[in-house]
Amino acid sequence: MKILAVDDDPIILELLSHFIEGMTDHTLVTAECAADALEAIKDNARAPFDSFLLDIQMPVTDGIQLASQIRAMKQYMDAPILMLTAMSEKSYIDAAFSAGATDYVTKPFEMTELKARLSLVERAVDGLATRTSKVFAAKAVTHHDGRPERAVQLHEPMAIHDVNNLIEFMALENYVQQLSRSDLFGSICFAFNIRDVEIFHENMSNFEFCSMLSDVGEIISDTLEGCQFLMSYAGGGTFVCITESGWRPDPKLLANNINISLAKTELFDNRGQHINPRICAGKAVRLMWKTNSSVMDALSEAHASAEEATANYQKVQNDFWNVGRTA
Amino acid sequence: MHKKLELPGIERIRARFLDMLEQRQRALAEHALAAWEGSTLQEINDNLAEARTILHQIAGTAGSLGFDDLGTVARDNELAIDAHLDGPKGKIANCPTEIIFGLDDFLKSSEALIAEQSALESA
Repeated sequence: MKILAVDDDPIILELLSHFIEGMTDHTLVTAECAADALEAIKDNARAPFDSFLLDIQMPVTDGIQLASQIRAMKQYMDAPILMLTAMSEKSYIDAAFSAGATDYVTKPFEMTELKARLSLVERAVDGLATRTSKVFAAKAVTHHDGRPERAVQLHEPMAIHDVNNLIEFMALENYVQQLSRSDLFGSICFAFNIRDVEIFHENMSNFEFCSMLSDVGEIISDTLEGCQFLMSYAGGGTFVCITESGWRPDPKLLANNINISLAKTELFDNRGQHINPRICAGKAVRLMWKTNSSVMDALSEAHASAEEATANYQKVQNDFWNVGRTA
Repeated sequence: MHKKLELPGIERIRARFLDMLEQRQRALAEHALAAWEGSTLQEINDNLAEARTILHQIAGTAGSLGFDDLGTVARDNELAIDAHLDGPKGKIANCPTEIIFGLDDFLKSSEALIAEQSALESA
């Protein structure tokens, strides 16, 4: 991997260079401020960086602002950004994830921890390369009935860009794991699932399906506006949300509001056909006092609960039409 | 418990850290004094903020280089300055004695560490 590390402390840069050159096969480029980092990005346009290590607290432009600027570059929309921070305060961490960070490491870091985090980043970079090659392959390959090969897998998480507080699923998982280390046990997670997502997935092109997910994500984000939250698309038509402590959401009420907004928003596919995605909400799962692994279980529980709500909804619909019928 | 990873060649970075620590402790003492003798809110808070930035950098690296105790004292002082600047007393033109005493303790720890490392080197 080619990594750009940005930190205003020359000792940190020296430590990172020493570590990365001594213990890994990665290439490291360093910058002492955001302006130098942006210059380095320009200078390396032909051989771009695979990932970034950014200090949060820097003079003039801090690491959070720099992360936003990097994310806004088309080339780096999905590139892993690892924040290096001496602060474990939640406000900085939340802001970093909202700005597009994938993960963070608290300074002073242990070399073993940094090595482990870099391995995760490397896996993410490899995953990105695989997905990109699938998308390019899909352009050339078609089904025997003429439909394009599907690059977007129904049950895979997917990055959705330009929606407030919507972050990549891997970043959300990292965020949740960090929560258990801090004192924020009052947070709650819950999820929304798009009904009939399999049908949408089956009948839509990749572009149409991604656009629909982006539209639904935007409406969920708008509905939650004003509350402190982060959310992610976890695959299978499910958006998982995490809220700050102190707010106890009523997922069913939120689902009604989201469905009203979806009904008011006119959504169309590429053929100009009106589409009507609707969602179901699962139950709210408290993260209080959970250990690291059970926090991850809570995320899965919220996800499963939303899928179950959709299944129940569909069962009720079927039962309704079958009332009074005999075999 | 996992073992700390010790990289070969880390001594060079440690030596650089200690060189910089000498410069940083001088700058820190100057800012502490200027905050203590400052008469306006801006003068006091600006100097405390500068001192805080220096402590923040020391706290961020000392632990990675094996100077855990110094890093902890730096972090404690950083957090004390943060709490003061963010709290109601941060709006009054008065530099708290506890912060100055805390910075003094840090400077003593820092001087002791430099002396200890220098003695090790010459032994």
